[in-house]
Amino acid sequence: MTLAPSMRLRILAFALVVVGCAAGIAGYAHHVMHAQEAPPPAAAASAALVAPAGHVPSAAAVAPAASAPSAASVRPAPSAAPATPGASASRRAAAAPLAGAARASMLVRSTALGDSYGHLTRAWLDDPEGPREVAPLACDRVHFAAGSGICLTAERGALTVYRAVLFDGHFAPRKTIPLAGPPSRARVSPDGRLAAFTVFINGHAYSMPSFTTRTTIVDAISGDSLVDDLEAWPVIRGGEAFKAADFNFWGVTFNRDGTRFYATLGSGGKTWLVEGDFASRRLRVIADDVECPSLSPDGRRIGFKRRDTANPGGRFTWHVAVLDLASGQVRVLPGESRSVDDQVEWNGNDELLYAMPLDSQQSSAETDVWAIAADGRTPARRLARFAFSPAVLR
Amino acid sequence: MPCTIDGIATVRADRRRMYQLDPKRLQELRLTRVSGIAANVWFLGLTSLLTDVSSEMVTAILPIWFVFAVGMTPLQFGFIDGLSQGVAAAARLASGLVGDRWRRHRDVAVVGYGLSALCKIGLLLAGGAWGLASAAIALDRVGKGIRTSPRDSLISLSAAPERLGLAFGIHRALDTAGALLGPLVAFAILAALPRAFDLVFVTSFFIAVAGVAAIVCFVRDVPPSQEPGAPARRPSIAQAVGLLRDARLRAITMAGFLLGVFTIADAFIYLALQHKLSTQPAWFPLFYAMTALVYLVLAIPAGALGDRFGRTRMFLVGHVLLLLAGVDLLAMPAGVAGALVALALLGAYYACTDGVLMALASAFVAPSLRGSGLGIVATANGVARLLASLLFGALWEARGMPFALAVFTAGLGCALLACLPLLARMKESPRP
Repeated sequence: MTLAPSMRLRILAFALVVVGCAAGIAGYAHHVMHAQEAPPPAAAASAALVAPAGHVPSAAAVAPAASAPSAASVRPAPSAAPATPGASASRRAAAAPLAGAARASMLVRSTALGDSYGHLTRAWLDDPEGPREVAPLACDRVHFAAGSGICLTAERGALTVYRAVLFDGHFAPRKTIPLAGPPSRARVSPDGRLAAFTVFINGHAYSMPSFTTRTTIVDAISGDSLVDDLEAWPVIRGGEAFKAADFNFWGVTFNRDGTRFYATLGSGGKTWLVEGDFASRRLRVIADDVECPSLSPDGRRIGFKRRDTANPGGRFTWHVAVLDLASGQVRVLPGESRSVDDQVEWNGNDELLYAMPLDSQQSSAETDVWAIAADGRTPARRLARFAFSPAVLR
Repeated sequence: MPCTIDGIATVRADRRRMYQLDPKRLQELRLTRVSGIAANVWFLGLTSLLTDVSSEMVTAILPIWFVFAVGMTPLQFGFIDGLSQGVAAAARLASGLVGDRWRRHRDVAVVGYGLSALCKIGLLLAGGAWGLASAAIALDRVGKGIRTSPRDSLISLSAAPERLGLAFGIHRALDTAGALLGPLVAFAILAALPRAFDLVFVTSFFIAVAGVAAIVCFVRDVPPSQEPGAPARRPSIAQAVGLLRDARLRAITMAGFLLGVFTIADAFIYLALQHKLSTQPAWFPLFYAMTALVYLVLAIPAGALGDRFGRTRMFLVGHVLLLLAGVDLLAMPAGVAGALVALALLGAYYACTDGVLMALASAFVAPSLRGSGLGIVATANGVARLLASLLFGALWEARGMPFALAVFTAGLGCALLACLPLLARMKESPRP
């Protein structure tokens, strides 16, 4: 078969384009491979330790060593909690702490785009920007205390599956609990016996006009459900029963021995702080306008987010605030002007930690962890870059 | 001839006279034919194959990318998706008419393919900015809308009238091969270099460029010859709308719409299967691949059978297969055998309907208005399917999956019965 000259030219032109395209792909692939082999020094520490989410990382990954126990991080299990469910498990909880050296550290979710994205990492509080150890677990939200951790995950696919993974001080899963919706808040009681989590049933953000949540409390060791849905508990306000169809609860925080807890009750666009105790299995309204409470380690104050009544631009915004439980006084911290949508974490009794998206629209997948003094005297400072869901290891 | 049932035979004689290609042009085309099908069809198939590899490799990783790198919610994603589909439907109508008016289907198609290629660069540059990323994806859909009508017109104008079904079958088979390869390429890249999303976009871009090169280098416009009685001036919008005065084309459009409204989208069939088998969502790509494979294998035989025994029959048989898939999902016990049967039926349904509908409609539209005519038929069917997805989703939410399946299966059965007299009218309509 003979080809017309014009046809030959066309074939040549097409062949040239195809060769050029192949060269372009090969060139870029080479560039990417080169970039992945030799990461910049700052990223090297974490990049070398991890594998993609869902895979067990290489041998270099941190498995918090049992050989380095730290007396400081082991809080003796309280003896004065006989009536509390799950008490029998408390000894085991304290037996395997996420051991650290003498240095204070926090567990955070890494939000640095790259191999470690979504993985738990440990940042040292005296050098938060330094190299971080990367754990094999990937979570959307994490909390940890006294040898017990909770990791809320989303396995994203055509149909996303949500799970809560209870893990021990070696990041070994103890129990996996299916979740009914996207993860929101997670807390472990300071004694490591109880874990609470909140998921969205409808909607996926507190800034949406209508959302519904479900808050569950489980035994942090066995995974047994202690409070399947907090909405089942009766609520007392001003000495009288308080009930509405649109009740939502979110953001549990436990007291030191896990006998009582605080949470947010939302109904009709308003929020209240409720206090619950396992002995009476009732909730009592103790304050107005408190969202996502977090009890200080000394049990005296509650750090929380307070919704801005000005509601600028039709979008909900929140300020960090501190409530003194004895006096009932609330102080909105002036050192942070941006909206904070997080359940704050106490670092000691004087500082609050929270995550903040990198961009102002709060839509970025990348977040940093910020710190602000609880007395409101100093402006907020960035504590750790590319981190989310801080859990201070005490 | 058995074809008389849908009027193909009666029309064939007319078309020999009326819609015949310029003999000189036909001679030229014949020189470049491969196994009796114009080179245009093969090269449009090559372009579609490359473009589908390019676009499906991006589609496959898009949900992961959006969540990991962009931080967008499924709700925002769904909204953008719906909006761009609407724009794409409008683009498909307009591009058919523009191709007719300028008599340059090839160039309009090149614009559509080129736009989609550029969008891959847009995704690369968007980085984490979700506004830019969704704009790039919306433009990609618009590009797809722009190229569809002119491409199908070129296929229909390049093929001999009695081989329209075969020509569309070949094109759809190549197209589906690309759709099957795309996700494989994407996941191969991500398996070798985890999270190298940018490499996926770059590869996608270059493969799309090769696709554009194929259409630019090898595909040529087929100008319709000037027949006596045919419009001497460039076709106007009024003439394009006037196409619907033809009872036969109107019947095809209405049948396409009516059957489309009761078409269960493949995503819902996969969801229903997942529901029934209680499998992990990870099985979805496997469902998709099975369906595409059956479509790929059957597209050419189904097109050829349509040419031989009647394209209307083929189109209706295809919907009967879809109806059987619905019955299978409703009645069969949960198991692998039932799932395989449902997926095979779904693939066969695509093979019997997608290209066949275009081949069927091509026979009833004058070459000078081919783009507009095919655009009308395809858009009516596409809009109906969009409505069907919304309706199915709502029914599932309100009353559960089995209820939605039952409603759609019964609806499809009624629609099929209603279409029989509609299509029979084509036989009775007087010869032009």
